[in-house]
Amino acid sequence: MKVSLFITCLNDAFFPKVGEAMVRLLARYGIRLQFPELQTCCGQPAYNSGYWAEARTSAITILEAFEDSDFVIAPSGSCTYMIHHYEALFKDNPLLLDKALKLKQKTYEFTQFLVQVVGITNMGAVFPHKVTYHPSCHGSRLLGARQEPMDLLANVRGLELVPLPYAEDCCGFGGTFAVKMAPISGAMVSEKVDHVIETEAEVLVGLDMACLMNIAGHLRYRDEPVRVMHLAELLYEGVRGA
Amino acid sequence: MSRQDNAAGSVKARADLALNDEFLRKAVRFTTERLRRGKKEAAEEQGSWEEWRERGRQIRLHTIAHLDYYLNLFADNARANGVHVHFAETSAEAVKISLEIAQQKAAKTVLKSKSMVTEELHINDALQAIGVEAIESDLGEYIIQLAGESPSHIIIPAIHRNRFQIAELLSEDAGMPLPPDTSILAGYVRKKLREHFLEADIGMTGCNFAIAETGSMVLFENEGNARMVTTLPKTQITLMGMERIIPSWADLEVMATLLPRSATGQKLTVYMSGITGPRRSEDADGPDEMHIIIVDNGRSNQLGDPELQELLSCIRCGACLNACPVYRHIGGHAYGGPYSGPIGAVLKPALQKNVAEWDDIANASSLCGACYEACPVKIPLHDMLVYLRRRKVDAGFGDKAEAAGMKGFAAAMGSAKRMKLAVKAGRLAQKLVARDGGIRIRLGPLKGWNTYRVAPILAKRSFREQWRELEHELQAELKEQKPDVQARMERAIREREAGKGGIGHD
Amino acid sequence: MTEAVTHAEWLAQKERESRVKQEAFLKGISSRLGRQRSMTPPPHPFKGAPDFWNVMDYDVEHRMTAFVDQFSAAGGHAVRFPDMEAAAVFIAERAIQLKARRLVRQDQPELAALDLEKRLAEHASVTAWNTDSGTAWKTAAAEADIGIVLADYAVAHTGSVVALSAAHKGRSVSLLPAALFVLLPAQRIRTRLGEVLAEFDRSGRAGLPAGIHFISGPSRSSDIENDLTIGVHGPGLVYALLVDAFVPADRMREGGGR
Repeated sequence: MKVSLFITCLNDAFFPKVGEAMVRLLARYGIRLQFPELQTCCGQPAYNSGYWAEARTSAITILEAFEDSDFVIAPSGSCTYMIHHYEALFKDNPLLLDKALKLKQKTYEFTQFLVQVVGITNMGAVFPHKVTYHPSCHGSRLLGARQEPMDLLANVRGLELVPLPYAEDCCGFGGTFAVKMAPISGAMVSEKVDHVIETEAEVLVGLDMACLMNIAGHLRYRDEPVRVMHLAELLYEGVRGA
Repeated sequence: MSRQDNAAGSVKARADLALNDEFLRKAVRFTTERLRRGKKEAAEEQGSWEEWRERGRQIRLHTIAHLDYYLNLFADNARANGVHVHFAETSAEAVKISLEIAQQKAAKTVLKSKSMVTEELHINDALQAIGVEAIESDLGEYIIQLAGESPSHIIIPAIHRNRFQIAELLSEDAGMPLPPDTSILAGYVRKKLREHFLEADIGMTGCNFAIAETGSMVLFENEGNARMVTTLPKTQITLMGMERIIPSWADLEVMATLLPRSATGQKLTVYMSGITGPRRSEDADGPDEMHIIIVDNGRSNQLGDPELQELLSCIRCGACLNACPVYRHIGGHAYGGPYSGPIGAVLKPALQKNVAEWDDIANASSLCGACYEACPVKIPLHDMLVYLRRRKVDAGFGDKAEAAGMKGFAAAMGSAKRMKLAVKAGRLAQKLVARDGGIRIRLGPLKGWNTYRVAPILAKRSFREQWRELEHELQAELKEQKPDVQARMERAIREREAGKGGIGHD
Repeated sequence: MTEAVTHAEWLAQKERESRVKQEAFLKGISSRLGRQRSMTPPPHPFKGAPDFWNVMDYDVEHRMTAFVDQFSAAGGHAVRFPDMEAAAVFIAERAIQLKARRLVRQDQPELAALDLEKRLAEHASVTAWNTDSGTAWKTAAAEADIGIVLADYAVAHTGSVVALSAAHKGRSVSLLPAALFVLLPAQRIRTRLGEVLAEFDRSGRAGLPAGIHFISGPSRSSDIENDLTIGVHGPGLVYALLVDAFVPADRMREGGGR
């Protein structure tokens, strides 16, 4: 059985630790992640901005990289959901459309794979810190990954989970939106950070590094010492410390 | 009155103004928050909200797919009820018919109840121009009419004004000082408008739903002004978007379940009125003469367009505005049209055929999907925004710098090799600007980002550069796979092959 | 207005134009939809509320309590009475307390039988709607302090009373006075909104009155700072008077009548 890691370009270039945590966590259950090196980016930045030809160029590398995988696991609900858009992107090319639909069926966001497919909610992690959780929009709204991270966090010993006020509000990232509509995006992330600080949590955890990078960037801008982590990183740190 | 003034310039410029208006942001946040909470509670109370949503969506999709049939049925039935039915392809035609009726009736005043279609037509200005006074009777609409503004929310038009500003406006109207007390201010408007209700020559309304099988029109409201407008003046003019149709009264139950709950969190608005024709000859109230003007004004652009046809399902509840984080920050006027929020960001360009005239409104969204989640008829507004962006790019009206950037993106992401090179190049470049593991300069593409954040730096070694090493180390770490894990994964593959999508898959 | 053309002629002219336009308009729609004009009723498998909802049916007592709860929650007042006589006593008392000077009621025998004219003889005038052709009835309703209406239906789940218009049942009576009293026979309360709406599908176009009004409490607005205000244009004080034992006019032995 071939289980592949879809690292996503952002994690590949900026946050390789997230991929490492996923690989090492799954190895503990005998799941050996492969890394097909043909993969680049899911194409979302171009797709969302309306540049579909450019998005296709990038998306084709994903279709090819994972063609013979049985499962594809990504540390991002947003990039996972982008694969659902391939249907629209390749609707005029029957060959690629067929590949796209197959890929969609076998691609999972990390926590949905863990909880729904593998059936793990307790990894035996210990993490004695005050933590708050930001549900990223695409993962929670469009993929429905709402309960999975909650189950995983609930089973981490010593972890105190503080609810984030207005958690479901978008952090203001939105890809190129953050650059094109910078003042609106800035106002949104500033509000998100206000809520994070309100919780007095030491750690902010989430499932999507793009959103977390946005929030972390504003936390740092305001010199707020909240640590920002992907849930995979938190769990891996937790099992190593256990 | 210059209602179009606030439509000038780009969305970004208008948003900047709004973002600098602390009160506006607070007011909009406060109200949308309450409406959103109310909706959530009302939806939960109703039970099986998803089933209602799906039913609402199906009814709307069905009606739009057979719009010619139902519209024809409606028009024939309305005529049989004694209504004068008119068809207007453009806003100019709709205005022309309305003005002709006003002239025929030698009308001095037209009393209006809240109607978004008439906002599209700028009918008040047109009436004014021929010497007919148009008076808004909805409390919020009356206030913004005094202020010379357009509504900034579909349901709460004066959401952007506080009671002190409103007291000032109404004091001027009254010619005497009125205190900033909600009940006193509302009481003043009640008294003032009472005289108009009894004297107005024409009552003008919108239409929430039109029932094809009986030719009836249905209005939802809380104040009672729409009832007055349809009961007291001798002539009634109803302006109706051509997509307002539903087949039957049975279908109205679904709309009546979805609309008030989504708009204000009410089980039903205080008044739901079904009007079937002018007054019967023996009745002592109701209009003698009733006109219904069926308006296209760009709606047919969406018909037969697989990406946008569902837009015609919209029931104008405003739930997407209340859910939208962008709307909450910039308010309705930043959208520069009668419709604001996510629905406005889609409708404004969609109603306008000429792509060259689209502004940057479709860009004012982080595509978070909160609008789709809130929509009672499940319109995928977040997807539609992307389609509109694509159309603009395809038509050659994209931003030049962005287009160049996207070319670069495609070049770098077209192969893993080139991506690796690009990351390497980035790593070299960041050496010049990175301090303490972050980048703070506000230049080029980093300007917008770094005005509000510190940018992260590229990792010393990317994941793919570490992979070989990691893979090697893992050989020692890898545990034996438990049989139950294996079995579950195999089952997932079987289910997938049997056509069941499984989690996160439809 | 051209003097040579009468208003009726103008309307006729407009209708001719409209019918021509209608064909073009609808043809435009069907061609956009990529097909010929559809002239036969399309199958409509998703009509009305979902099935799970349609089986909901409260017994009469439950309907009454649900109605009272919901109507009160919306800011209305709901009071139960054993019969019309008890309701009549209540209306008269409240009218006096409220210092009402003018009352207007629908011209129905059941309301005439309340005998409010006599009960309030020394306090207020009580007028029955549209009983002569000389009165400006809309103005009369606007000047009234209290309007009295007999509900045709009610919906327990939404807390709504339903008033249908007719020659003897003015739309203004439930709308223009400052206070509204609606008499609601218990057996007229349905559980779901759809049960009442189904009546209108059944009666069909020709059987419908000009005005069908669902009223679910006092007039309200939240247009100023989302602050709830009651009685903006319509009545601010609304009573639903639920009557357990109600005798409809056709079974009344005696009484006012028209």
